[in-house]
Amino acid sequence: MNQDPNDTGVSEGRKETSVSSLIHWTDFRVTVIILAISGVLYTVTTGFEEVAAMLAQNIPPEWFPQLLIWVIVLLSLVLPFEHLFLEKGAAEIDKDRSEKVKPMAMITAALLILAVTSILLFGTALAMVVVCIALPLLWGERRAKVLVPYFILFPLAVTLLFTQVLKVYFEPGAFGPAIQ
Amino acid sequence: MEAMFQGLGLILDPFNFFLIFCGVLIGVIVGALPGLSSPMAVALLLPFTIGLDPIPAIAMLSALYCAGTFGGSITAILINAPGAPPAVATAFDGYPMAKRGEAGRALGMAAVSSVAGGIFSLIVFLVATPLLAKAALTFRPPEYFALAVFALSMLASISGKSAVRNLIAGAAGVLISTVGIHLTTGVERFTFGIIDLTDGIHFVPVLIGLFAVGELLNQSQALNVAYERITSIVVRLPSRADFLKVRWTILRSSILGTFIGILPAEGSTVAAIMGYNEAKRWSKNKEEFGHGAIEGIAGPEAANNAAAGGAMVPTLALGIPGSGTTAVILVALIMHGFRPGPYLMNQTPHFIYAIFGAMMIANMMFFVLGLAGAKVFARITLIPRTLLWPSVFVFSMIGAYSFSSSLFDVWVMLVSGIVGFLMLRHGFGPAPLVMGLILGQLVEESLSQSMIMFDNNWFQFFDSPIVVMFFVLTLLGLFWSPVTGVLGKLFARSNARLKGGD
Repeated sequence: MNQDPNDTGVSEGRKETSVSSLIHWTDFRVTVIILAISGVLYTVTTGFEEVAAMLAQNIPPEWFPQLLIWVIVLLSLVLPFEHLFLEKGAAEIDKDRSEKVKPMAMITAALLILAVTSILLFGTALAMVVVCIALPLLWGERRAKVLVPYFILFPLAVTLLFTQVLKVYFEPGAFGPAIQ
Repeated sequence: MEAMFQGLGLILDPFNFFLIFCGVLIGVIVGALPGLSSPMAVALLLPFTIGLDPIPAIAMLSALYCAGTFGGSITAILINAPGAPPAVATAFDGYPMAKRGEAGRALGMAAVSSVAGGIFSLIVFLVATPLLAKAALTFRPPEYFALAVFALSMLASISGKSAVRNLIAGAAGVLISTVGIHLTTGVERFTFGIIDLTDGIHFVPVLIGLFAVGELLNQSQALNVAYERITSIVVRLPSRADFLKVRWTILRSSILGTFIGILPAEGSTVAAIMGYNEAKRWSKNKEEFGHGAIEGIAGPEAANNAAAGGAMVPTLALGIPGSGTTAVILVALIMHGFRPGPYLMNQTPHFIYAIFGAMMIANMMFFVLGLAGAKVFARITLIPRTLLWPSVFVFSMIGAYSFSSSLFDVWVMLVSGIVGFLMLRHGFGPAPLVMGLILGQLVEESLSQSMIMFDNNWFQFFDSPIVVMFFVLTLLGLFWSPVTGVLGKLFARSNARLKGGD
């Protein structure tokens, strides 16, 4: 298909002047999220307990958080247009988010949540062992001669250091005493 | 003078000396490891210092800060992967030098420039801290409010992708600092009925989460990244010819780095980039930059280490963090019962001199370690990520927990980490949020006290020349760069049109 060189010029000209190109749509979505969170928080501030003006000394407890929320709202409204003022345009801010969050990051986050939850059940020391086994395995570590000493020695050293030297009390967990 | 000898004497105690060595060793290792940063290391080391006396604790953290800034240059030069953001500019010329077989010369220059910059800034630190603290003794709440606002406005220009994002993150940090009981009225704010929140959100778990867990999740996406490694290294000191070539670059970068460090919120990364640019601007061999110019190493390295010393000045004299890492050191000071600010210099001057001594020793130590052990430190990157990052998470978990033996803090750490990861993806850095969180209480308290003093009359702020000065600096900090940027673009466009018309 032959392309008329003039067409390109016209479409680029249109592109330059269109309102759509002025807005960075990913940042627009970020702004919407920030505005939504700000809205919720602002509503929360309106529910703060009321105090007598004399006690509050003209500075009611909601005043400062509300001021900050307004600042955040105003700044976030600039976000969709910020790329117009940046030296490298949108390329710089889009570099890290050009690809979707990899599933590995989400699985890792889920594993970390599980690890922290496991403190309640197994106690701090065993939760460390869980992390030292599960996370390397998840990230592809398969060498038993590296992994086994690691998940035994590392949590043991950390436990001894914190409980014996730094005198930090470790959570025993619900099943901890039974396991011990 | 007596306080100076007392402070320096404390640092020469063998145990304290050993802790400084540990700080330097950890700093160089952490600095050399891509992904691990100085603020993260200082945050993770905080729980270990709980049982220590305040002076050795802060001395160790300060030593780590100095060494961590230098450590990044090793991997920047040898594998083109800056271990820490301040070493990014070092890689521009360091790696090309290493590739053409001059890794040892590049590393030697990095070590010498870093020490020169570090020592220069410490001399300034020694002179400027008492002077600044003395001036700050006259500050009342309005002046403190203006100073804190100025510090927050400086977030607009700290390294990062965008000024607006930095400011939003800073404001969000201040907002997080309002969680808990309002001091003036005793009203609970944003506690949502959770008892653990009535005390507010502690700094330490948030710091650990943002810096360590956020980066861990980031690293989980880059498990297959491999580095090309330069292995044949014999580190050597710069030759006389090299030294003569870079002496003015080092001096210029040291002055620039110290000044940038002293500015609230600005840290080593900004200093290093500006040091590199200035080295290039003043160089007679501009065309060599990017292809292995020795000045391209001296400039950023002298500047980033000078910024480390400079950043301690506002941190200790005013209680306003000079950089991301000093923000964490500020938390350590508070944790150890100190009140950072002018009273610290007034009441415990020996403490300031002890920190000076510790940082001076740290500079000497990393110089020796850097020269002697660069080859070993470069091999640190061989530690499998599959073991390194789980270890970081274990320390994060225990660090957050041990701060107040509370599981709630571990959850705060984890949530902060996940939020930090998402923020990072969209260009919101963790350092501005931390700055806001730390400065939040000062901003609110000084504003409330000022409004009470002025009977709610805003205009009385402008009665104080210091307040006016800080407000003017704030406006300049916020609008100088965007305004000049837009004007520059318009100017360039009109020039191009004129040329087109010709």
